[in-house]
Amino acid sequence: MTSESDRFDIVLADGHLTVAARGDWTIGAASALDTGLRRIDAREARSAEIDLSRLRVVDSTGALLLVGLRDRFSSDGRSVAFTGIRAEHAALIERVFANCGRPLPSPMPYHPLIAVLERTGRAAIEAGQEAVGLLNFLGLVTITALRGLIRPARIRFVSLVSHLERVGFDALPIVGLLSFLIGIVVAYQGADQLRRFGTEIFTVNLLGVSILREMGVLLTAIVVAGRSGSAFAAQIGTMQVNQEVDAMRTLGLDPVEILVLPRVLALVLAMPLLAVYSDLMGLAGGAVMSMVSLDISIVQFTERLRDAVGMWTFWIGVIKAPVFGFLIALIGCHEGLKVTGSAESVGHHTTRSVVIGIFLVILADAAFSILFSVLRI
Amino acid sequence: MNAQNDEPVIRVRSLRTRFGTTVIHDGVDLDVRRGEVMAVVGGSGAGKSVLLNTIIGLNRQVAGTVEIFGQDTGRMNEAARRRLSTRWGVLFQQGALFSSLTVAENVAVPLKEHTDLSPALIMAVTGLKVGMAGLPSDACGKYPSELSGGMRKRAGLARSLALDPEILFLDEPTAGLDPIGAADFDSLIGDLQRSLGLTVVMVTHDLDSLYAIADRIAVLVDRHVIVGTLDSLLENSHPWISAYFHGPRARAAASG
Repeated sequence: MTSESDRFDIVLADGHLTVAARGDWTIGAASALDTGLRRIDAREARSAEIDLSRLRVVDSTGALLLVGLRDRFSSDGRSVAFTGIRAEHAALIERVFANCGRPLPSPMPYHPLIAVLERTGRAAIEAGQEAVGLLNFLGLVTITALRGLIRPARIRFVSLVSHLERVGFDALPIVGLLSFLIGIVVAYQGADQLRRFGTEIFTVNLLGVSILREMGVLLTAIVVAGRSGSAFAAQIGTMQVNQEVDAMRTLGLDPVEILVLPRVLALVLAMPLLAVYSDLMGLAGGAVMSMVSLDISIVQFTERLRDAVGMWTFWIGVIKAPVFGFLIALIGCHEGLKVTGSAESVGHHTTRSVVIGIFLVILADAAFSILFSVLRI
Repeated sequence: MNAQNDEPVIRVRSLRTRFGTTVIHDGVDLDVRRGEVMAVVGGSGAGKSVLLNTIIGLNRQVAGTVEIFGQDTGRMNEAARRRLSTRWGVLFQQGALFSSLTVAENVAVPLKEHTDLSPALIMAVTGLKVGMAGLPSDACGKYPSELSGGMRKRAGLARSLALDPEILFLDEPTAGLDPIGAADFDSLIGDLQRSLGLTVVMVTHDLDSLYAIADRIAVLVDRHVIVGTLDSLLENSHPWISAYFHGPRARAAASG
């Protein structure tokens, strides 16, 4: 029996199968060769021979196919021999033979239900570890801060002022614009609903309470988490990658005192100021909207606002601000210090700093709501 | 693979590159012959890596031509460039592995992109290349961040060999390796070059590598290259070349 292909010939005589390779056995032809070789029927052969004397060019993928062919023939207990290996191919073929046949580790058996369970468990344990780590870090920062209180000279004032500028002053445009727009939106939506009852004037109450109590500070916190919390994580993380943090430790400098404390203090100081600014801009947006769509003049608006909201409504918003600032800075610095080695890790922890930061801010906001309702404020 | 012709596989003529106003190369001529190991040496900032990047098309020259397999890379369309890039492999300094993929997946990337091999054959080729680069098979399932610097380079080498290239470009292959690891890597490259019939262009600082595997050496000095064998460069009187090949480290490498 004789059959032909353009890259090998097959001869079967007296139970001896000869596969004679010819032409180019390279990666470009590998796919066609692979299919062709699979069609070879070796069931009637007792012994086999792979003749390479007419092989013109072979690369490592081609040689791999030769090994695969040999293994297939010999798997049924047949004797297989390579013949006619040309001198210029010998080194390559030898090298490939020495390095293949090592199976890749097969992927772990996979069951979707178990995978879901595994992921849930893993996430739960990670969340627990995250919480413990954060508590640990909170303690560390508190102790360092107390030491700073006892010896104020240790607080880095230049660094503090520089951070205050970056997290506070530089945030004014974006916080102001967003608050103004949210003020417009709340006033517009409120007026739209309240007009049906003919009580448009209560838009001012709605606006005052929602902006001062919740929206102003929450919006500020979310913007700050996005622009400053992430910046803290990225800055400290990059220093971690460059081993700057390690260098500080070997020089006897405390990274918490030098890197973390000024950032935390800056954000604790800047957040209430930003929150007040956000309140003002939000109310301004509402006032503009009220004037345009409800014909409530600025004077009416302010009078109404004075009657509608008490001082406590304002203070409740402002009291929350330093706490939110503290949480955002704490998370940002903690994630930054958790960065290990690679640039990828910086990105990962920066993302986490924003996600966890906003999560904790909203959690704390809920806790404040409960606290204030218990205190009947 | 066979020496069908004496046409150089890489021919660089009057190459001129610059960054801003700083001229890096001015009138560089370089021929790389089939099957040789060409080392590119030069001081820090002499433009070794820039030359390599210009040859493989990551950096564009201001003037001059780069021909690879007789084709002018400057006049190539995108498709021809892609086809050409399957005929060379590049090992970057840190390995440049894709960090979100395992070693095996990294090696399989060019195979999946440029060939129509069956998944089983891709697996087999991947295993072969990982083995040829001298990595243990349990490295296949690991991510780059779990590997040491030396293993990362070997994994990068496995990926650059995935498509059975004819030319292998190496950017400082032994930088950052310990002397034993560097010597192992040199001999690995030498073995692969001989058994696979590769043409190797290697940027290096490492004098031991030059003595171990380089056939010819291109020295980048004063924005030009001076090409020669080790012996001819030892005779060269250019101050930098003489300092390089006769400094204390060079003597240690020569006697080693």
